[in-house]
Amino acid sequence: MSGFLEQYGFLIVTMVQAGLLGLSLYFPLQAGQLSLASPGFYALGGYVAAIMLTNPAFSGLRDTLGNGMFPLTWLVAALLCGLLGLFVGVPALRLRGIYLALATIAFVEILRVVSLNLAVTGGAIGIFGIPQAFGFQDRWQYLWLFGPLLLLTLLFARQLERSRVGRAFRAIREDELAADAMGVPPTRYKVLAFVIGAVLAGIVGAMSAPFLNTWNAKQGTFDASIAILAFVLIGGSRNIWGPVVGGALLTAIPEVLRFLADWRLIINGLVLVVASLYLPQGIVGALQGVRRPPPPRRPPSVPAVVEAPGGGA
Amino acid sequence: MELSQFLQNVLNGLAIGSVYAIFALGYTLVFSILGIINFAHGAVFTLGAYFTYTLVVGQFENNGLLKGINLFPNGSPLSGNPAVFALATLIGAVVAGLVAVLIERLAFRPMRARGAEPLLALVSSLGVALVIVNLIQLLVGAEIYNFPSDAYGQVQPALSFHIGDRVVIVRTVQLIIFAVSLVMLAVLGYVIGRTKVGKALRAVAENPGTASLLGISVDRFILITFFLSGFLGGLAGTLVGTAFGVAGPYFGVTYGLKGLAVIVLGGLGSIPGAVVGGLVIGLAEAFVPAQYSAYKDAVAFALLFVILLVRPQGLLGRAQIQKV
Amino acid sequence: MRRLALTVMLGLLAGSQAEKVQVPVPIGIALAQTGNVALLGQEQVIGARLAEKHINAHGGIGGTPIKLVFQDAAGDENSAINAFQNLITKADVVAIVGPTLSQQAFAADPIADRAKVPVIGPSNTAKGIPQIGDYIARVSAPVAVVAPNAIKQALKLDPKIKKAAVLYAQNDAFSVSETGTFQEAAKAQGLNIATVQKFQTTDTDFTTQVTAVLNSGADLVIISGLAADGGNLVKQLRQLGYKGLIVGGNGLNTSNIFPVCQQYCDGVIIAQAYSPAQPGAANQLFVKEYRSQYKKDPPQFAAQAYAGVQVIADALKVLDRQKKLSQWDLNDLRAALNKQILAGKYNTPLGEVRFDKEGEVLQKDFYVAQIKMKDAKNGTFVYLK
Repeated sequence: MSGFLEQYGFLIVTMVQAGLLGLSLYFPLQAGQLSLASPGFYALGGYVAAIMLTNPAFSGLRDTLGNGMFPLTWLVAALLCGLLGLFVGVPALRLRGIYLALATIAFVEILRVVSLNLAVTGGAIGIFGIPQAFGFQDRWQYLWLFGPLLLLTLLFARQLERSRVGRAFRAIREDELAADAMGVPPTRYKVLAFVIGAVLAGIVGAMSAPFLNTWNAKQGTFDASIAILAFVLIGGSRNIWGPVVGGALLTAIPEVLRFLADWRLIINGLVLVVASLYLPQGIVGALQGVRRPPPPRRPPSVPAVVEAPGGGA
Repeated sequence: MELSQFLQNVLNGLAIGSVYAIFALGYTLVFSILGIINFAHGAVFTLGAYFTYTLVVGQFENNGLLKGINLFPNGSPLSGNPAVFALATLIGAVVAGLVAVLIERLAFRPMRARGAEPLLALVSSLGVALVIVNLIQLLVGAEIYNFPSDAYGQVQPALSFHIGDRVVIVRTVQLIIFAVSLVMLAVLGYVIGRTKVGKALRAVAENPGTASLLGISVDRFILITFFLSGFLGGLAGTLVGTAFGVAGPYFGVTYGLKGLAVIVLGGLGSIPGAVVGGLVIGLAEAFVPAQYSAYKDAVAFALLFVILLVRPQGLLGRAQIQKV
Repeated sequence: MRRLALTVMLGLLAGSQAEKVQVPVPIGIALAQTGNVALLGQEQVIGARLAEKHINAHGGIGGTPIKLVFQDAAGDENSAINAFQNLITKADVVAIVGPTLSQQAFAADPIADRAKVPVIGPSNTAKGIPQIGDYIARVSAPVAVVAPNAIKQALKLDPKIKKAAVLYAQNDAFSVSETGTFQEAAKAQGLNIATVQKFQTTDTDFTTQVTAVLNSGADLVIISGLAADGGNLVKQLRQLGYKGLIVGGNGLNTSNIFPVCQQYCDGVIIAQAYSPAQPGAANQLFVKEYRSQYKKDPPQFAAQAYAGVQVIADALKVLDRQKKLSQWDLNDLRAALNKQILAGKYNTPLGEVRFDKEGEVLQKDFYVAQIKMKDAKNGTFVYLK
């Protein structure tokens, strides 16, 4: 048993991490917002933790708080990401569909270039020698952090779905104009969904910095945005378990395929293609079977994603 | 700023910009007809360069399954003068176009048939890109390959002219890329605007349902779109390869992200917009003052963010009315 | 239920029993075999494989052969950590050579250090790598010791040089530190630094920097970067009319620049941490084996990976003489191997190599070479005395 955890501990934790990042995209998606901003907030959260844990400016604080420093980094990361989410979200969420996605992609890239060049973030090399959370030695011990976070997030998501806020999200997702006409202020709820996603990604980042021992600008890239999108789409975008299942599976596959040596990433790519073809509702969607009658077949390639820009109504 | 510095910046901007433009033309074509962003475009761009290399040099280095193979020990029949190089480029581009058609058949068409969510096409295209790039590495390794330096014949490598006591210079190959991007734009504009094929493509882009009712075979024209997009991508890949070398299987994929900024700035779905967007971003990057050169890569995305807030349809796109 | 409990208990017992060293002796190789750093990784893989072939052809470790176990570390931190964990817990390696990038080392090396498995970095040059832990060492010299020599050679070739233009890749840690050494050395030689230009390793167009160089009137250009960017910079400098000498830092010490700058590479002076011309016996054997298989001179990355494997093997030989390797307990061997690695002196293709107590490499020989292009594709690094 200990051998299994030693060998696969890191992988299991990264699977949970991926599920959490998938959920950080799921929340804005619940309100109909395709936000690809999670890696940006994840990177920011990680930098916050990395800086607080290694920068001499905080050494006094570190000495006083000891292990309490780690939860403090999560709190600060959550606050900063929430604020930044608000700051970026309010203007950006006037956009719809793919335009919003593109704006969030731009945000992630700008954040990446900036973090690549500041001295406090360690420039191109990043920050290294990050102390281990609570003195954890093995990677699997981080399950004590990510596991409860995942459970709490899933609980929160389920409660949210059943609450008035959740219903508002659904209304906005189904038809924003109608929701607005019915008295559900769309901007407020869209920003809320966006900020929830941002805060979650930030906390995950802050927990991940000690986990990876180092943090650099490569943690927040466009490639990560698309990978997280794949988690949600392949796992299933209509159910809270979808992003978790998608994240876990798509993270595990390239590692499980290690025995394929040179063919590993080629097979990984094929898996993505085949999964997109045969699981249009995602894995969880497929498992749920035809609970509802399938939606009327749309004429092919209607660009449903290219919607009108801006607010207006 | 001195005149010579200003002119130099303009030239640099147009040079970098035309590389972006030439990548974006094929990229935006698929978006304008199908409404999806095809991440495999960067991989097809790379393939075009590698195909042309195989025809013109055909010699592979020490890694990959094809290691050590030298197809033309006595020199390739398609090298030695610009005319045959152009022919090789076109062949490479055609093969790239055919690969794009294959991708459409295997990865995109089945998804359309099932009424799948358009975003899934994005994920699928990403998978395709992953497969292609790693297949290239598996076959020929990650080395840098390059075309013979006399690919364009015995032209001067650079042109220079004097303004006062300063010199303003530009590399010939950049002028070629700029010229080709304009030619590509003109040809594409003619095809889309003035030919029957183009009319059918525009109909499909406007409303596929109606188009098929009017007797247009939607599937066939989508194939044509992908072929064109792949052809343009492959052609662009070879050209960019002649300017900077084919720096490994990822050399095209790295343009994919900035290409997004280009096509959105120019106007999603607007073909002239791809060129305008590319040139504007190129110019913006060229005018970044030296002390901020580290942030050059962020310029395109700052512009993207601003244009999305101010004028989401891009510089040349049409404002879309929101359908209720 | 009882059977399950029994199986679990037996499993735990089996796991807790001290493991012996396997035969053939497994050495882990965690390099970038895929991803966009595969250009470097694939050369390292070749170097490591040549070392394995050579060592096993000469009796292995006191009669016991070594076996290299490859796990792809790709280009990102997660893959490196997964590769390391695979090697440490599944393959039970005695030591690891890798990873390719310094950033990956910062992520994965602490894992090996905590598991008390020795790691030798073949190409990690950032500050702070050997300090990660007691079990971390490297054979890749972090300092551009040879920078002043490279400039001296340039001055020997053209004593009239007065103004230098310095360009460096600001997103590459080694280039950033190397350019500092170059600038100091240039000033110490009495040169005037006419302009300092920055670029990114991902850049392809350098017209802005080149025009700045031309307008500064510099007659010496010093470049710190990597193969693709450095090569394009050299080519564009020449195409746009720069006629003076060019000095390239250690990142340009690779034949990968030949396809990029083609005939324009000719005459560039390179500061090298490895030279195929190094006359030591170990290097000449390595060069001969490499040339016979690949028809060209070995690149620095291959030599460094070869040296990494060799260091481990040489240290193992010492331990084998104390007690046959197969008799060793795996954890004891890993600990003893680490101590022995740091204590030994090695004749590698990099020349004579030792380690300080932190695991930092102490390399004796550095070289300066000038590129001579035979045609647009083939060239050599001609050693300058």
